[in-house]
Amino acid sequence: MGGIVNMSDTISSLKESIITYNRNLAREMATKAIGEGIEPNDILAGMTETIRKIGDDFGKGELFLPDLVGAASAMSEAISVVEAEIEKSGKEIEKIGTVVLGTVKGDIHDIGKTMVKTFLVAENFRVIDLGVDISSERFIEAIEKYNPEILALSALLTTTIAEQNRIIEVLKDKGIRDKVKVIIGGAATTQEFADEIGADGYEATAARAPRLCKTLLGKE
Amino acid sequence: MIRKKGITRNIRPLEILSEEQLESIHKNTLDVLENTGIRFESDKALKLFKENDCNVDMEKKIVRFPPWLVEECLRKCPSSFIVKGRGPRSDVRFGGNMSNFLPFPGKDTIDLETWEPRTPTRKEFYDTVKIMDALDTVHYTGSYVPWFGFKNTPAVMQMLEGDAANFRNSTMPLHCNYGNDCEVFAIRMAKALGAVNLGVVAISPPLTYQEDACISAFRNIEAGFPLYIQSGPTYGATSPVTTAGATVTNNAELMGGVVLAQLIKTGTGVLVSDFGFTQNMRSGYPVFGRIESSMHQVVFNQIWRRYKIPIGNHSTGVSNSKRIDYQCGYEKTISLMLSLLSGANEIGYHGCIYGELSFHPIQLILDDDVAATIGRFLQGVEVNDDTLAIDVINQVGPIPGTYLTEEHTRKWWKNEQFIPKSSDSLTYLEWMEANKKDCIEYAKDRMEKILQTHKPEPLSDSEEKAIEEILSEAREFYRKSGKISDKEWEACKEDVNSAGYPYY
Ligand code: B12
Repeated sequence: MGGIVNMSDTISSLKESIITYNRNLAREMATKAIGEGIEPNDILAGMTETIRKIGDDFGKGELFLPDLVGAASAMSEAISVVEAEIEKSGKEIEKIGTVVLGTVKGDIHDIGKTMVKTFLVAENFRVIDLGVDISSERFIEAIEKYNPEILALSALLTTTIAEQNRIIEVLKDKGIRDKVKVIIGGAATTQEFADEIGADGYEATAARAPRLCKTLLGKE
Repeated sequence: MIRKKGITRNIRPLEILSEEQLESIHKNTLDVLENTGIRFESDKALKLFKENDCNVDMEKKIVRFPPWLVEECLRKCPSSFIVKGRGPRSDVRFGGNMSNFLPFPGKDTIDLETWEPRTPTRKEFYDTVKIMDALDTVHYTGSYVPWFGFKNTPAVMQMLEGDAANFRNSTMPLHCNYGNDCEVFAIRMAKALGAVNLGVVAISPPLTYQEDACISAFRNIEAGFPLYIQSGPTYGATSPVTTAGATVTNNAELMGGVVLAQLIKTGTGVLVSDFGFTQNMRSGYPVFGRIESSMHQVVFNQIWRRYKIPIGNHSTGVSNSKRIDYQCGYEKTISLMLSLLSGANEIGYHGCIYGELSFHPIQLILDDDVAATIGRFLQGVEVNDDTLAIDVINQVGPIPGTYLTEEHTRKWWKNEQFIPKSSDSLTYLEWMEANKKDCIEYAKDRMEKILQTHKPEPLSDSEEKAIEEILSEAREFYRKSGKISDKEWEACKEDVNSAGYPYY
């Protein structure tokens, strides 16, 4: 990742766009950086450095959720441009791992799930956020399409946590349970429930989700 | 059966918006409805909107509303309507200058030693309903009141078990929730008892009605019941963070529901309810009891009073404290005071401690005092010859005159003084002699007394049979459709077959 050393103006503008939560500028600068021939993985590394700093400041209590979510969402915007470029070149994306994330069917609670996404993006995970009220079929489709290491399921209702169980059963039926680690969370879930349904991991807060994922991937 | 009377507001309502501000919010709300629209995830609803001049995108499920239709539907809502519990004199009217209270549900009960939450038992649930029935300032009840279910109840049955407990141990009308088709059984229970529910429809902010919410609207209106439509944004997450902006999204959402209700059946009673809260910008969790909710509600009340549609306030019931303590007291009281002053007709209040997550009967009893205290304030001041007491003033004159000996004092003091039932009204000396008792201990005494002496009007044998039959039919239905797991089913069977079931 030597590229960051001779950091171009474009990269510093890109970093600036993340710090100022400017989605349009982020997209524009990412496109420009690619046009200038900067190595895509170096562009990603530059952004990661910035978001890490923002994450640290959030951890210290100097920044707040709108700052973190704003920065992560500007960064996601730039990432989609860069990733498309990497895919075109046939190279590998330098990511810790890919996570498919969603709130389960029958449940539309969105806030906690979006926070999980933010913290994962900030820690250099590639996150495919399917949204809320997601059926097992759609989770399976996404697993087939994106080949993630981790499937993250959120549920806030006592009536929908059973759906997390069901998804695990469907994975077994399809013979793909071993392909992904399943983690669960959301206010109605507990470690005990995670054990009961045979999930690979549970965390009570979004901030701890990256650590959990890294542990499961043996990357910590 | 004694009729419970709501609180009457005899003073002018608190208003904080100017006429221009009000007009600006109104106009912009109509613009959002016309341009961005509301998402309704129900084909049945979409079809109805389409047949009635709305611009409907069937694929994206977005409905855009012509402003004239919205205004027409606002006018078609009655300015007041009645719901009914079982038996005579159990009716409650929403609207005008009356305020009626619903206890605010919590997910768990709490342990008064450790303040930690835990799932309540069936007996605790039934006992607490009995206490609610005995309190003058609790006027109606709800599916998840006091708790979101109780031990050994399958998740999918929690709402119906709550409905049954409320019908059994109180005569009050029911604020009836929905989901997983529960409302079908709940409507049957109400019909079997001659009750009229307030059917709940909850919005999923921003700007969305889920399918089950739409179905609840159809089913309740078809049963002849009025609707309670609630919007509950988290400011900054599911609505704009500003009060003005959140009022626009909130009102747009509610107006979408108002139009749906009036299109299903013209003249349907609708109560619009506000349950918004601030977001903790570190954890992402809602913070309850913050002043922004009250600012929002006061504005909300001013606007909907102009539309002459009954108003509910629910942010009033919740604190962020985990204990029955000073913070819990001031957060709940400040917001209740502002809601009542600004004219809310329906208020979720009693019993809840930490935002929707905990409820305790002691808090319920303490809140009875707060509601009654503010109710006393809202009675206003009577000014007439008798209350001016000029004759008495002239007769008593300066010292050594005293009013204690006057007939006027004897006649009026009980009328003028409101005495809270659980507050410490003692002097230091008396207090030390009474083991330094505080309001929580007084509330405990009152709770025990109510449990010993209060006898809710019982159901007749045939009514009881009807309720139990509907419950067992529902249990079988959910068991067959796979919504009750083996483990839940075992626990439920044991509970239902235990001695003393259903504990009332
Ligand atoms: C906001 C809210 C809503 C909003 C949601 C808006 C939206 N777009 O998200 C609205 C109003 C729409 C709503 C609707 C309902 N709600 Co609601 N809602 C809440 C509320 C107040 C806050 C939830 C929230 O946002 N929390 C903040 C976030 C940050 O917390 P979180 O999601 O748990 O996430 C944290 C962690 O759990 C973790 N996490 C989350 N997901 C994941 C996933 C993984 C993999 C990991 C590792 C971690 C993780 O990270 C987050 C931060 O650290 C709670 C009550 C409360 N006080 O908590 C009720 C609550 C969750 N709702 C409840 C209910 C019953 C409902 C309704 C059924 C009510 C109704 N009939 O109208 C509907 C259901 C709609 C549906 N089908 O989903 C109940 C659930 C009770 C239960 N145990 O089943 C609660 C507890 C309230 C109550 N006591 O009644 N609700």
